[in-house]
Amino acid sequence: MEVEVAEPKIFTPVVSSRHTASLGAILCILTVVLLAAMLFSMTVGAVHVSLRTILEAAMAQHSVPASDATILLQVRLPRIIAAAIIGAALSIAGLLFQGLFRNPMADPYVIGSSGGAALGASVGLFLLPQFSMLGFSTISLSAFAGSVVTIALVYWLARTGGRTQVVTLLLAGFGVSTMLSYSTYFMELLNQNYGLGMSVLVSWFHGTIDVPRWTQLAVAGGMVCAAGSICLPLARRLNTLALGEEYAQQLGIHLEYTRIAIIVTGSLLVAGAVSLGGLISFVGLVVPHLVRLVMGPDNVRLLPVTAIAGALFLVLTDTAARTLLAPTEVPVGVLSAFIGGPFFLYLLRRTKREYKL
Amino acid sequence: MTTLLQFENVSFAFGQQNILDGVSFHLEEGCCAALIGPNGVGKTTLLRLSAGLLRCSSGYISVGGQAVTGLRRLERAQRIALVPQQVEVPFDFRVQQIVEQGRAPYLRLFGGPTRKDQVAVERAMALTDVAPLAHRVFNELSGGERQRVKIALGLAQEPQLLLLDEPTQNLDIGRQVELLDLVASLRREGITILAAIHDLQLIPEAFSSVLLLTPEQRLIHGRPQDILRPEILEKAFNCPPRRHPVLVHQNLTLKAKIV
Repeated sequence: MEVEVAEPKIFTPVVSSRHTASLGAILCILTVVLLAAMLFSMTVGAVHVSLRTILEAAMAQHSVPASDATILLQVRLPRIIAAAIIGAALSIAGLLFQGLFRNPMADPYVIGSSGGAALGASVGLFLLPQFSMLGFSTISLSAFAGSVVTIALVYWLARTGGRTQVVTLLLAGFGVSTMLSYSTYFMELLNQNYGLGMSVLVSWFHGTIDVPRWTQLAVAGGMVCAAGSICLPLARRLNTLALGEEYAQQLGIHLEYTRIAIIVTGSLLVAGAVSLGGLISFVGLVVPHLVRLVMGPDNVRLLPVTAIAGALFLVLTDTAARTLLAPTEVPVGVLSAFIGGPFFLYLLRRTKREYKL
Repeated sequence: MTTLLQFENVSFAFGQQNILDGVSFHLEEGCCAALIGPNGVGKTTLLRLSAGLLRCSSGYISVGGQAVTGLRRLERAQRIALVPQQVEVPFDFRVQQIVEQGRAPYLRLFGGPTRKDQVAVERAMALTDVAPLAHRVFNELSGGERQRVKIALGLAQEPQLLLLDEPTQNLDIGRQVELLDLVASLRREGITILAAIHDLQLIPEAFSSVLLLTPEQRLIHGRPQDILRPEILEKAFNCPPRRHPVLVHQNLTLKAKIV
């Protein structure tokens, strides 16, 4: 594939190439890589299915052994698609939260939004285990509510004098997350006593992508797509918000509405992701960061690339999770924490230097 | 000459504390006014009130004949640009991306920038001479360069009224002179400017009028040579003349002019 060279703009005395890399070319390459990774992921697992068999299955199912077809279509494909949706959702949410907090260290997990979603889900599971509305299960609905409430709380806690401080943000986020995780333990205990879906919560807690039903995929995918399409105008506003509150206000942005839109959208994304895969840490931190290093900080350009890169990241991580200790499965949350944790610490150190805390 | 900015008996209180108390003045279109006064007297508040970012507790503020608080957000941002003292950008945005934010009030919800927006950004960067910095990272610029970029952002809004909050703060004397040259050139472009400023000795060259906000919350409006007089400044700034280099300097230059 040929890489397009970006046309020089009017003022281009010194242009570093990494910041003008053509958006279209990057998106094309990433999409191809994502599809290739998904295809590869279809072949690996407890039972090896060759690429050829998969392509044949895609063309005409009858030429494939029934057992293989079942594994591919009922087990692997839904799970791979789920991984892609979760990765994209968490990465976009990370991008939104980093812009909202004007802080490169915000992420759905660190600021407690994922934890809130999990607590919401476990409360929902405890109170109304059988309830569902418009195809949304109790888990999705209460995860959404938990996520919105938590991030609003952390946001309110972390603001001092009109801006969000790194330290306060981290403390508020960790404080709320810790409270939430112990509350979730408590709910687990209650659920256990009442003999309810305990195993569901345990797998949630470690971030395991179960084999989802197609309806679940459709619902979560719909949530993520809806949120993703609201993100385009939000991305432009995030660029303005980067200048700070006073500037954003001066430029005619309605701060409160914009913030609420970002919080609701981010929570929708997190809830969609959490309802499929439980708590998967650090994806929302690592992916937007890596993409920002390549693409520069313009959120309008970052948004689509981050979504696809996030999907790619989690498809690969989940493939590794399924195969590293096969037939035992490593929860994907564990793997992403192994990768994301050190990266987070590196950022923490770098930020400390830059911000002189 | 028509009046662009008008304050009528404007008061502003922050909690229990009165910051402005019954201030009245008006600025003509195309004038270039310096707002001076001791620290904490309410200069920034006055600018923020003019920009419609704060609501006055009583009184009336109008820009171009319309009440500032009656304007819609985007319309207000298209008419008035405020260049704040401090700006911190968390990510490594380039200068051009920063200046482009000045077009935010003109963009549609789902639309991107148009040719007209590009032209406005280019013009703003040309006027402030930041075009050569277009692809530099904003956070890596020097203080003087940053000020010029911030003013470029304000100009990209194509405002009728440009408000500058301490544009010469933390600049060395060479950059201060450069910045006031820029202000003078904008004045020649016909842009109405109100700038809060501390460096009194640079005022006469760049500004056509001076607003002095005194600790008693009186506002004195006049030509630079009428306001920048030792007897007025000593009282307003509560500063004995011989102890303060600026006033000594001012004293000398004014005497020299009178002679």
